This record gives sequence, structure tokens and C-alpha cells, in this order.
Amino acid sequence: MDAAIAALVAASRRSAVGRRLQGDVETRLLQSIVDATVRLFDAEAASIALFEPDPDRLEFRVAAGEQGAGAIGLSVPPTQGIVGFVYSTGQALALSDVANDPRFNRDAAEQTGYVPRSIAAAPLLDENGTQGVLQVLDKHSSATFSLRDMELLAVFARQATVAIAATRVQRDTARLLRGVLADLAPDLTDEQAEAAVSAATQGLDAEDEPFWSLVDQIARLRGLSDRETSLVSAILETVAAHAERTQRGRIGR
Amino acid sequence: MTSSELPAWSEPFTNRRRELRRRLRVKGVTRDWAWGGATGAGVRVGIIDSGLENAHPRLRGRVAENVTVEMTDDGPRVVPDDPIDMFGHGTACGDIILSLAPDVELVSIRVLGADLRGKGTAFAAGLEWALEHDIQVCNLSLSSKSESLYPVFHDLADRAYFQSMALISAANNVPAPSYPSLFSSVFSVAAHAEPDPWRIYYNPAPPVEFGAWGVDVPIAWKDGGSTVATGNSFAAPHVAGLVALILSKHPGLSPFEVKAILASVADNPGRRHPWRRRVSAP
Repeated sequence: MDAAIAALVAASRRSAVGRRLQGDVETRLLQSIVDATVRLFDAEAASIALFEPDPDRLEFRVAAGEQGAGAIGLSVPPTQGIVGFVYSTGQALALSDVANDPRFNRDAAEQTGYVPRSIAAAPLLDENGTQGVLQVLDKHSSATFSLRDMELLAVFARQATVAIAATRVQRDTARLLRGVLADLAPDLTDEQAEAAVSAATQGLDAEDEPFWSLVDQIARLRGLSDRETSLVSAILETVAAHAERTQRGRIGR
Repeated sequence: MTSSELPAWSEPFTNRRRELRRRLRVKGVTRDWAWGGATGAGVRVGIIDSGLENAHPRLRGRVAENVTVEMTDDGPRVVPDDPIDMFGHGTACGDIILSLAPDVELVSIRVLGADLRGKGTAFAAGLEWALEHDIQVCNLSLSSKSESLYPVFHDLADRAYFQSMALISAANNVPAPSYPSLFSSVFSVAAHAEPDPWRIYYNPAPPVEFGAWGVDVPIAWKDGGSTVATGNSFAAPHVAGLVALILSKHPGLSPFEVKAILASVADNPGRRHPWRRRVSAP
């Protein structure tokens, strides 16, 4: 069991380093999807909200377009509003003439600083249910959204769902570990499993550890030529050998 | 991107209408016969949605009952509800149904809006309640993708069929099965874009069998308001309204008979009464 945990710790560390080196792949993928959406629709804004539990909320992760920025970081309850309805039912819909809804107006203005005239929203649906919502505000070319628009929006929502599924493993190391542990040791109690998971993932997200700033620096070396890379590698080799010697010396003393 | 990649349930009712031509018209079954003079009186229409705002002027006092599903430790429980609509969507559906069948009784079965864990389970409980409370037409704007609920919804859709409760279900524009909208016993509906609440299409190549107006529909919305909306969930209540009219004029018809009537009076292209031509042919 201890060997298994040690292997998990190593795997988690590797995965965390990989995530760090690549940057937040999920956010970049979702960003590219809202960028494409806003361009294709020629709209004021496009954004993606993802469901997050405890407390239940739909959190706007990425946005694009001139009026999009105000939405990022905003959370709305899944029991309210157009985004909440689309999340709850899995039904895509568009509303134009939303200016007729005074409450909607006020809330939108307070939260994002922008009051749209029209909204189209589609669910991000996969086999586990609805993960979030993709929304588009105010097409320039038309006051309303056509059936074709709704169908295209569903295609973009599908892309976003695939992107989320593909990066979820990376994002959620802890959940992955719990799954692996449950397979390895079915007799483990919840508390024991939780202790093992936190042992394996401890420090992986600590921003201020010098180790992580080192990883960040290495991430900046992407794009070096092969020759430069082997130079950096040789320097690191020397430093690592020195570190090992120092550590051995400390232990020997 | 090719059009074949689009999960377009509405496609037969917009760009490929020519394919709807394959038609059987039943002699004597005209719109006048089907619902001429009918108002929906005597028909109870359930709306499984976000609630109904009874005081909304466009619901004209036609809401007879409001219930909601509560999730308890012992499972879901249906209890009386306040006359409220959490999103506005249920009220929009009620408004559309009344615009066609002004004298129906509306019953709100709210399964959305509160913090409902296990939405699919709540939805199934709402549907079961409708089966036990003398609802003849039930409008569903949501469906479930949960595999584990497949047999539950299959059973409920069968019960509805055999006790002649018409389930009108908005198709979900996603490239994956969702229940009960894709079961053959329900009336599945996608949107067409012609601004005519009476215009319906029958699709001889399901899963989605009917097309109704669902683009830029002027609707009632939350807090006594109104807006203009697009989506399959605004097409479904148009079919619910027509079914209510048919049932108020011809009580006791089974869903299969009602579907046959809708197919017969649908606006599909083609000659209205082909048997006449056959009679006069050489």
C-alpha cells in the first residue's frame, strides 16, 4: 500500500509539473472557443460559465468580445436567470428584446456593466449531465438569433464540452487519485482514502514554494533551440549533482 | 463545417421541407373537424417546468393548481407550491398554450428553480404525479440524459400512453439521446421559423415527429413581463395547445389517434386530398 501511495505521489507531482509547464490548457481551449464564437456570430460578447459546487454556482471562466470582459469571474446561482434555466433544463434558448424584463436589466447592469438586448445560450452537455453554459450576447447583424444560430451555438457548446472532458483529468488530480485508490484498496475507509489523497497532493498547488517558481522558469524556456536546451540541461545537471552531494553531506553529519 | 455535423432536429421543418412530402391524409379529417369551434374547455394541461406566475395577466386566471416536487430523505414528494415562476419559462409555455386553447385549465408542476438535487428524479416524480391527477396533456421542456433514469422514463411514458395522457416533449438539440423526448410514444417537437402558431409539420422520419413555431415567439415572462424567444421549448407548447383543442372536441382519444389527426391536418407540402385525384384519374 505504501509503495502504491509513493507511486501516486510521484504521479501527482509529475502531473502537477506538467500542468504548470503547459499553463491552464482548459482555460486556453475554452478561450479559443469563445473567441471563435464571438467572431463567427459577430457579437458583442460570448462567454462560458461552468458549474462549481459548494455553494452551487455557475462561474464565468472565459469571455470574449468588446462587452465580454465584465463577465469573467462572475458567479450566478443555477436557480436563476437565463443561464440558470439553460443549465437546469439542458435546453438551448434565445431571448431577444430582454429589455422588457426590468429585473434582468438591473441585475445584468449591476454585475457586468453591460445590458444586452438579446441573449442565446446553449448547455455544455456530456454523458455526466450539464457541465455549464455557453452564451452569446447581441449579434451586430440582427436583433434576434435564427435557428441556424442556435444550431451553430450547439456545435460550439459541444466543442467546449469536449475540451472540458479532455482536460478534466489534469485539473482534478485529487478526484483521479480517489478513483485509483478505490480500485487499489476497496476496503479503505473514506477517512483513510482522504488522508492518502491529501498526502499525495500536498503542496502541489502551493504558489510560493521555490520549487514551483523554478518550474515556472523552466516553462519560459519553451522555444529554445536544441543547442540552448542541452546547455541549460548541462547546467541543471551540475546544480542537481551539487544538491545531491550537499544533501548526502547533511545526512552524513 | 458541413450541415451534416449540425445536430439539427429543426432541419426537416426548415431547409428540407420537401422531404416531408410523403403523406397520408385521412379523408374527412380536416382542421375544422379536428378542432373547429373548440376552446380547450374541460382539458387539464400540466406544465412540468419552472412554475406558473398565476397573476400574470396573460395567464388570465386559468391556473387551477400549483405543485412542486420536494426532495426528502425518503425520496421525492409532491407538495402544494406558491403561484410563482422561478425563471419565466413555465409562464411562457402557459401563455402559448392559452393563445391556442384559451379555456384549458393549467396545472403547474414545478421541478425547476429551487435547489433540487437529482433533477431527473424530481422530474420523474412530477410526471408520475401528473399521471395520477387527471392531466390529459402534459408539456415537458426538459428531458434527461441519465442512463439510469432511462427505464424510469420508459415506464412513465408507457403509462402515459396507455392511460391516454399526451406527453408533449421539446426535442433537445444535442447529438445524444435524451428521455423521454426520443421515445416513440411521446409527441416530440422541434422549432420551425414561420411566425404562425397554427402551422405544424409532421416528420415521417422521426425521432422528432412534429415541427411548430419556435423562432422569435412573443411570450409572457417573469414578473408580469414579456419577451421574444427562440427554442424548441417554445415550439412544444404550440403542439400542446393543438392537442388540448383536439381533446376538448373529441374527449378520450388515445395519443396514437391524436398523432394521426395532427399528421393528417399538418402543413406538409403535397396535395391536400390525394384520393380525390385518384378517383378522377383515367
